[in-house]
Amino acid sequence: MKTVYHLATLLVLIYINMSVSWADGTPVDKVYHPYVLANERELEWRFTSRQNDDGNVLMQKFAYGHALSEYLTIEGYIVGERDEVGDFGLHGYEIEARWMLTDQGELWADWGTLLEIAKEQGSDNFELTTGVLFEKEFTRTSLTLNALLVYEWGKNIQDEFETEFRLKYRYRYTPAFQPAIEVYTGEDFVGIGPAFMGIQRYQGQKQLKWEMAFIAGLNGDAKDHTLRFALEYEF
Amino acid sequence: MLRLLVLILLVNSVACDELFAATAEYKIQLKGHLFYPSKIEIPAGQKVKLIIQNMDDTPEEFDSFSLNREKVLFPNKQSFIYIGPLKPGIYDFFGEYNPNSAQGKVIVVKQKQGEPNVN
Repeated sequence: MKTVYHLATLLVLIYINMSVSWADGTPVDKVYHPYVLANERELEWRFTSRQNDDGNVLMQKFAYGHALSEYLTIEGYIVGERDEVGDFGLHGYEIEARWMLTDQGELWADWGTLLEIAKEQGSDNFELTTGVLFEKEFTRTSLTLNALLVYEWGKNIQDEFETEFRLKYRYRYTPAFQPAIEVYTGEDFVGIGPAFMGIQRYQGQKQLKWEMAFIAGLNGDAKDHTLRFALEYEF
Repeated sequence: MLRLLVLILLVNSVACDELFAATAEYKIQLKGHLFYPSKIEIPAGQKVKLIIQNMDDTPEEFDSFSLNREKVLFPNKQSFIYIGPLKPGIYDFFGEYNPNSAQGKVIVVKQKQGEPNVN
């Protein structure tokens, strides 16, 4: 009975976010886990390549992250973008904090929160993102949800609130190979597709994590495919 | 803003009823880069709390893919890890800094009727 109640709560959370999604930009990005590992430092490289009828937009992020405590980690990003006309350049900067609200396995599900502020290079356009990170284990599978609220403001853009929703359902097959399904919603966008991730451990805390997903937009007849890839070196 | 408030209320409703549930506790020590005991038997289908005291002067990291847990064990400090509910079976764990010596197993057994579940 309790499980039914919890799942119903979860469905309400999903509905609230899916029914009002209207986020700008490339909606496909990382699905965040709510966990923080003490002492962890990481270097990260992410890219998303979105192909639609208007052309290809390539976004790359280079980041450095550092856990400040057992529960809080911060990460700084430099973002580069190649636009529809083929120009690649510095797009902006981001700083992000993730806070683990519950210890893993402590409650029925694990909870965290995210706070991120981004600034566009060369203009006073800003974006503040916050939201809830959720993860629940079902034997060897894990369901991860991100429900995010975004506020955009600046001289060249309209001030507005937006929402984004991200979902990943992962099967922990082996450390090196974990298949998953990912779902994203954003402004006029609903996408779904297969994803794969893995981890290679080295000595001590050193490990290399990789993620890849191919997300197909379900927005109608127009072509809208996104390939995303992330490589994280933790040390 | 209203949606954010609803989200917070829903999160609280899920969290509150879990806070008062009793969880069985099992104690482990890490000494000389070895876990004592190295085999812990726990009941199937129940969440348990592993209390791990790191007696060494160096940090260790509890790691287990099958338990899906990763946690830093600070030197001369006590840490805890919640695991389960699990199906019967053997779940390996190890210390990332000393993987050859710091090894252990969580043995999940089907509990007999009337048997106490606290170590």
